[in-house]
Amino acid sequence: MAAPSNLLQGTLDLLILKTLTLGEKHGVAIARRIEQVTRGTFVVKPGSLFPALHRMEEAGWLSSSWGESDNNRRARYYQLTAAGRRQLKTETEEWGRISLAIAAALRG
Amino acid sequence: MTWTSRVASLWRNLVHKQASERELDEEVRAYAAILEDEHAARGLSPEEARRQALIEMGGMEQVKDQVREVKMGALMETVGQDVRYGLRTLARAPGFTVAAVLALALGIGATTAIFSVVDAVLLRPLPYDHPDRLAVVLTRGTGPVAPGNLLDWRREASSFERMGAAEAWGTNLGGDGRPEHVDGVRVTSDIFPLLGVRPQLGRTFTPEDDRPGQSQVVVLGHRLWQRRFGADASVVGRSITLDGVPHVVVGVMPRGFEFPPFWATGAEMWAPLPLSERAANRSGQSLRAFARLAPGASLDRARAEMATITARLDQEYPGTNRNVVVRTLDDIVVGDVRTALLILLGAVAFVLLIACANVAHMLLARASARHKEVALRAALGASRARVIRQLLTESVVLAGIGGAAGVALAAAALRALIAISPGNLPRLETAGLDGRVLAVTLLVSLVTGITFGLVPALQASRTDLTHSLREGERGSTVGAGRHRLRRLLMASELALALVLLVGAGLMVRTFVALRRFDPGFDPRRVVTAVVSLRGSRSEAPVRRLAFYREALDRVRALPGVTSVSAINHLPLAGDVWGFPFQVEGQPPSAPGESPRAAFRVVMPGYFRTMGLPLVHGRDFTDDDRLGAPGAVIVNEWLAQRVWPGADPIGKRMTLDDLDKNPEWLTVVGVARNAARGKWAATPDEEMYLPLLQSRLYLQREGGPFSFLTLVARTGTDQPAALGPSLRTAVWSVDGNVAVSEVQTMEEVVAGATASPRFYLLLLGSFAAAALVLAALGIYGVMSYAVAQRRNEIGIRMALGARPADVMRLVMNEAAGVVALGAAVGLIVAMGLARFMGGLLYGVGATDPVTFALVAALLTLVALLATYVPARRAVSVDPLQALRAE
Repeated sequence: MAAPSNLLQGTLDLLILKTLTLGEKHGVAIARRIEQVTRGTFVVKPGSLFPALHRMEEAGWLSSSWGESDNNRRARYYQLTAAGRRQLKTETEEWGRISLAIAAALRG
Repeated sequence: MTWTSRVASLWRNLVHKQASERELDEEVRAYAAILEDEHAARGLSPEEARRQALIEMGGMEQVKDQVREVKMGALMETVGQDVRYGLRTLARAPGFTVAAVLALALGIGATTAIFSVVDAVLLRPLPYDHPDRLAVVLTRGTGPVAPGNLLDWRREASSFERMGAAEAWGTNLGGDGRPEHVDGVRVTSDIFPLLGVRPQLGRTFTPEDDRPGQSQVVVLGHRLWQRRFGADASVVGRSITLDGVPHVVVGVMPRGFEFPPFWATGAEMWAPLPLSERAANRSGQSLRAFARLAPGASLDRARAEMATITARLDQEYPGTNRNVVVRTLDDIVVGDVRTALLILLGAVAFVLLIACANVAHMLLARASARHKEVALRAALGASRARVIRQLLTESVVLAGIGGAAGVALAAAALRALIAISPGNLPRLETAGLDGRVLAVTLLVSLVTGITFGLVPALQASRTDLTHSLREGERGSTVGAGRHRLRRLLMASELALALVLLVGAGLMVRTFVALRRFDPGFDPRRVVTAVVSLRGSRSEAPVRRLAFYREALDRVRALPGVTSVSAINHLPLAGDVWGFPFQVEGQPPSAPGESPRAAFRVVMPGYFRTMGLPLVHGRDFTDDDRLGAPGAVIVNEWLAQRVWPGADPIGKRMTLDDLDKNPEWLTVVGVARNAARGKWAATPDEEMYLPLLQSRLYLQREGGPFSFLTLVARTGTDQPAALGPSLRTAVWSVDGNVAVSEVQTMEEVVAGATASPRFYLLLLGSFAAAALVLAALGIYGVMSYAVAQRRNEIGIRMALGARPADVMRLVMNEAAGVVALGAAVGLIVAMGLARFMGGLLYGVGATDPVTFALVAALLTLVALLATYVPARRAVSVDPLQALRAE
């Protein structure tokens, strides 16, 4: 069982992976998307987003390249790799197990 | 993991840092710019939008810092993973791992050991202040300097800040029990400040001490202080007895201080050297002159200035200032051994390269076996760079293990090396596996790992799935590129091994020639000992002769001794003093132009005892004594030079000036040329005078004339066993004389040939290691190649090829590679061998016999290493070979 901080880190990873299943996105778009889908529960600050993105890229789950934003700004775009998709699958299953387990524990 | 990760991150930082930093910076700024756009779109003023964006960012530098931390962490983790993975892979292939580690340990260990010697002898600065500013002044190209000249130069030369002198000195240190002979050096007071060294205790010398007749003072070396005085600090100010005279100890030098660094090494005591009384002496060359360049003065300026000064002085005092040379101290100290050591270092690097090539072979062979694994990793999304990094990490881990084993090997090798070293390697005893050497070993291991790992890793990572599948299916021949690479490695191994073998071969020829060299005398069954009368009552001129006679008689009476005599300076071991002489009936020579001959003074029976035949005339007898007509024995060389074609017996010569009523010496005998100071050097003029007639040796007080070397011929093959009774016999005459350097004449000869033996031993072992490694490499490659072609061979044989045809096929392929390697090796060896010129004797650097024999030997070994796998290939049952698919 992971420690709380790792749980949070793992949660952010999971959310980023999930967000990117819809296609490549730049950093701000990833943050806004996560805020939106979690209805503001998760406000992702650059201080946590950047390290997470780079860590995940080092791990081979994401790849990145330069592109143009909607406002014609240069931005770094991230997208899922094959390894990233597998990781998302594993983490989703894991999350499902954990949340069920915790829910059961809290009920009991 | 610690060092590999540090090195890997260093690499990344060095190479990629700037690029990745710039990227990161851009990315963070772009993020902030998009935030700003968002805020502006919500209707904020540009300033407010920017402010909000920056607040939201939470500090760009902090964000970047966090990213850097994450990246470093990830790097450490992957390197850690790779190392662990590499270790697991290596553990799964123990045969390969052991073979590779052994080859690497051999290469890295030998390199480390030789490097530690090179470091101690060549690379480390001399233990003086700014040693690069120190110079040595020599007369006659290489020789010592006369006191008068030194004083003239010191007065006139402005490119030197200081100039000092040293003179060899030995003394009998009295105390409880037998006196001990201690080597020392007399130095002018400016020597210590010139070197920039301070004493550990007390003081060194002051200009006061340079005046003659001052109280007798000495400075002790650290080792002597520990050995004889128990490292007692109160020894400073105390009086000790040297040659029977009380001297005051004024100082003790620190540990590690050595002076002089060449000639008369091993000095443990320093005493003042008063020169003022000898100021008029411009011909007695006994001093070594040291100088420190003045600030701002270059060596070239000093040389130019000295040339001007000596040219003028030579006019004023003709013949005294010829061929004066200024050289750096460092050059003098290591000049002779530099080439030899660099050759050894080069040789050992060759061994390391061969080891690298061997391991690269093994990795290539493994790479084919691991094709599937690599292809799988690639299919799972690992980039090519990632695969290369992983394979390289494995190589570096392998090299790291090899390096660790190599260090252990080096420690043992270094001990052996110091034990067998010829003693002409200055400061060798300071060689050790210290941090500096280990750092170099680490670097060598790393570079080694990358060197042998890179090409196989590049090859292995080039995964073309369909291609490797197809290859696997057919299983007939390996990719042509990889095969070419393997042949290239094999040829380079052969070439490297051949170069080493040529070096070793030339040393073998040198050594054989040296062993055949006839020193003129018969060194077997002779034991020698230096007897110093210094400070004993037998030193008194009235007692000296009686002592020598009595001592010789008692040694002669020892059981096993057949003949005894004595000489002032033993050939090969002792000094060689050149003395000018004049010949009767020939015009007097110009000053400084007189012929010179080595000055030997002997007791009767010396020639018989040494087994040095007299070719004409007679030996000295007891009748050649003071008062009788002067007698001299010359060597053949001198006889031929001075009286060519004439019978020298009865001719007369003199050591005095012809115009001052000279004392004539009549030639009574001619001796064979004997080895002098250096083994196998060309002979030189030598003259022998009867000790019984020598006022110098019988009557001169002090100075170097109360020393003699006893020589005794024995009837036993173990003359060394006689040493103790020889000492006792001498001491039974006078217990206060010092008996030192008791050694057999064969030991003296061995000492004189120690250098070539040392180089032979080292080059020989490197060459042997190279040959074995190269043979194993070839064997490995050919076995592998044959195994790969098993079913091709099977098909050929099934189709009716005879075993001989198949053998020829395999051998032909190898023969091409062997020929290429040998040809390249011969060319490289031809180029490199001339650097060995100085180490060789009796053989040319491009000796065709050596080159031919070595090439033949290597070809033979290479073909043998091919024959065995080829033999195995034809013994394959074709059916089985085909079915194995």
